[in-house]
Amino acid sequence: MSEKELSAAEAELYDRQIRLWGIESQSRLRAANVLLIGIRGLGSEIAKNILLSGINSLTILDEGVVTENELLQNFLLNRDSIGQKIAEAVLSKAQALNPLVKITTDTSPLSEKTSAFYKDFTIIVATGLTTKQLIEIDSICRDFNVQFICGDVFGMFGYSLSDFQMHEYYVDQIRLPNRKRAHDGKASTSSEVITEKIQAKLNYPSINDALLNADSSAKGRRKRGLQLYYLMKLLIQFRDKNGRNPSVSSKDDDLAQMKAIRNEYLQDYQIKEENFKADVLNLVFGEITPICSIVGGVVAQEVIKAVSHKEAPIHNIFLLNPYTFSGKEEMVGA
Amino acid sequence: MISSAVPSVLKDNVRELIPTAKILVVGAGGIGCEVLKNLALSGFSDIEIIDLDTIDVSNLNRQFLFRKEHVGKSKAEVAKESILNYNPDISIKAYHDSITSQEYGVNFFKRFSVVLNALDNRAARNHVNRMCLAADVPLIESGTAGYSGQVQFIKKGVTQCYECQPKPPQKSFPGCTIRNTPSEPVHCIVWAKHLFNQLFGEDDPDQDVSPDTADPEAAGSVANNLHQSTDAGNVQRTSTRQWAQQTDYSDVKLFNKFFNDDINYLLSMENLWKSRKPPEPITWEAATACEGEKKEISDDVASDMEVWPMYLCAEIFSSTIGTLKKELVNKEFLIWDKDDKVALNFVTACANIRAHIFSIAKKSRWDIKSIAGNIIPAIATTNAMIAGLVVLIAFRVLAEDYEECQSIYLRQKSVHSNIILAPDFFIDKANPNCYVCAEQPYVSVYVNVEEMTVKEFESEVLKKTLNMIAPDVILDGKGVFVISSEEGETEINNDKKLSALGIVDGSILKADDFLQNYNLTIGITNYIAEKDEPLFKIDAKSEELQPNQQNGRQNGSTDKSAQQENDMEVDDDKNDVEFIAPPVDDDDPQEGTSTKKRKLNPPEDEDEDLIMLDDP
Ligand SMILES: [Zn+2]
Repeated sequence: MSEKELSAAEAELYDRQIRLWGIESQSRLRAANVLLIGIRGLGSEIAKNILLSGINSLTILDEGVVTENELLQNFLLNRDSIGQKIAEAVLSKAQALNPLVKITTDTSPLSEKTSAFYKDFTIIVATGLTTKQLIEIDSICRDFNVQFICGDVFGMFGYSLSDFQMHEYYVDQIRLPNRKRAHDGKASTSSEVITEKIQAKLNYPSINDALLNADSSAKGRRKRGLQLYYLMKLLIQFRDKNGRNPSVSSKDDDLAQMKAIRNEYLQDYQIKEENFKADVLNLVFGEITPICSIVGGVVAQEVIKAVSHKEAPIHNIFLLNPYTFSGKEEMVGA
Repeated sequence: MISSAVPSVLKDNVRELIPTAKILVVGAGGIGCEVLKNLALSGFSDIEIIDLDTIDVSNLNRQFLFRKEHVGKSKAEVAKESILNYNPDISIKAYHDSITSQEYGVNFFKRFSVVLNALDNRAARNHVNRMCLAADVPLIESGTAGYSGQVQFIKKGVTQCYECQPKPPQKSFPGCTIRNTPSEPVHCIVWAKHLFNQLFGEDDPDQDVSPDTADPEAAGSVANNLHQSTDAGNVQRTSTRQWAQQTDYSDVKLFNKFFNDDINYLLSMENLWKSRKPPEPITWEAATACEGEKKEISDDVASDMEVWPMYLCAEIFSSTIGTLKKELVNKEFLIWDKDDKVALNFVTACANIRAHIFSIAKKSRWDIKSIAGNIIPAIATTNAMIAGLVVLIAFRVLAEDYEECQSIYLRQKSVHSNIILAPDFFIDKANPNCYVCAEQPYVSVYVNVEEMTVKEFESEVLKKTLNMIAPDVILDGKGVFVISSEEGETEINNDKKLSALGIVDGSILKADDFLQNYNLTIGITNYIAEKDEPLFKIDAKSEELQPNQQNGRQNGSTDKSAQQENDMEVDDDKNDVEFIAPPVDDDDPQEGTSTKKRKLNPPEDEDEDLIMLDDP
């Protein structure tokens, strides 16, 4: 971690974003060490955005191997990558996105990682994990005060889920000059715009609470807004059970399985049939690039907010509607 | 055969169309790079990309198809190479050119299934809008500014066009505010840029920097009767440039004229200061003797963000004049560029000296660069989100599911709203009185027919304001050929006043832009501008043209004030503007939140999740 001031070269490179989030945020980004678990379609989008933002280091953890299918949804790869470890194959293009960031690749299995591995990161970003993995890593993060965010894309659907624990942040609030004076024609007082730093706090529920204890907090009308939350939960549950995402190559079986989970949910959570139509399950196959582009933008922006402690972050779930492309924040688990 | 990159969840008809659909991407900047990537990874394989620009270092934080070694090269060409490196089987054609050039006529546009705009300026957006209307090709328009962005689908006969709703005019400041009575930092910055142009740039009579004796507010002041004989340099017809040359660009003489003599002259226009704090002139001697912490100017951001003390402003005034004078030796004139250190230092020094004189807050070089260069902040994440939406809308456009192609707004997450991506509920219907897409386009122009020349009418009204490229104009009923797009045919009219050609109150002009396939009827109304009023005005037919307020939107109309802040007259830094109109910013609780918010947030019961639309 370097305490030096931003160099002239960095100022030039990051000019257009420093003009948005300020020099203090850029300095905090510059000190951030990020772990990214999973560099597939969504992971490559997140990696691109946070590398461009100018963090200190990025560790890419993925034990997978590049297949024909993987190549189709990851622009950090090309045809020569087939057969290589994904984390290693993306390295040269990832590094080219920003030569100032130190990138490390790690192709060992997640199961071998102990809490010592996680504790020194500023923030951990995960894609493609199971409920158990998410809860375990989050609880380590809580022990070591490391921020955590995960996200996934399933076909036309996508979400992010974050645990920034007790997160303190600030926003710059602009006070406009007194306009009355300007209108009476006589005014000559300076109409200086004043920027105030407003401090705020958000307390995040753990991933465990967000995924497993949601129903206690969601009641009546509010619950109706959570259909996409249950879709998210259903898809993670599918992954838990099958060790993979729903796949076009086994579409009929996967659909049947998902429909069965949906029926359980309708019962267990008392959701009305018309509020969680089975049709939506047809849309969750594949990792569609434009959806990755959107969700990857959202997740990376949350990473930037978490690290810089600037601007109000999403608290705690972002859900992208696969029909309307509306994107909403939902608070679940607190 | 459908490539396996085509998303399997799309409807069959779309899946079949994607591999052969011909796509034009206009602009390879922040949104353009992301759009190209999304297209390539969604199975599109026939893409053309056009961009006039070359790559700059400040692009690299978001235009991720480019790297440091590409600086100075064509954006379109490098973007193409980068996409081919990912997939060499994609057919991609690059044009390092302006989309408004004559080669890209209606037939060029007709070849495409859909056009995706990823532009950075309004003039090019207006032009592509007209070309797509003329060619009847669907257009997806997009823009971002900072954390905000939007996507809008445009199709002739189905939706609004880009020009259906009047956009606020570029912000400009009255001459007398700039020359006589500045009250904000931006007034001093504009003045300093004008001073640069007066001393070193191309001659522009609209950028006079000396006191404006015609200021009606000053009427009756003693000085007004004396000004013919004064030697303050401001009213003689010797230009500022000639005068500066006569002094051999003496720093002391220039300083004393602009910051002492001219200010004393302003003070003599007493009426101006009856309700204002009068300015305090400062001489070179006084400025250089000012106390202040000794400082070096360096290039790191922290010192860039500090405000220079007066003595340093004076020193930099002097040293930059010396350098600029030398640069001018073999040139006719210099062009102001925010990325030119010397030019920026000159403007920073002059703006701050003037701010000091008028008791206005001084600004750092960093801030002055933003304002003078009209820099709009831009980040990768916003562009990625908007470009994702562009391609999702493109899927629906190919399927001709136009009713599902509502505009979508990206808004910064705030404590006031939990909606980050907000789609409109309906697509916007065309404005029947739009002067671009209406059946018989018509516009009223209010202009002083005794004062405005044909040349000014062509450049300011037809080209700059109505965005025509090469108009032919005849005076209706009289058969008088006023302006021809053919060189040499109507040059003789250039310096004539409109009235000299018989154009008077009530005249009708027929304007025809062959390139845009655009015919416009112009009704002339004679109009004499009052103080602080623009020299001319345009008005599409009726009140109905007001931005619509209640058409079932979730997100409301575009925010005029926010756009004005960005669209300053000061300079159009095209490299940095990826922007149409930011969505309503509801973050500032001081700005009438209560009414706005009610409009913005859908009623609680209207839960659009999952139940709103049928399967795509
Ligand atoms: Zn229109």
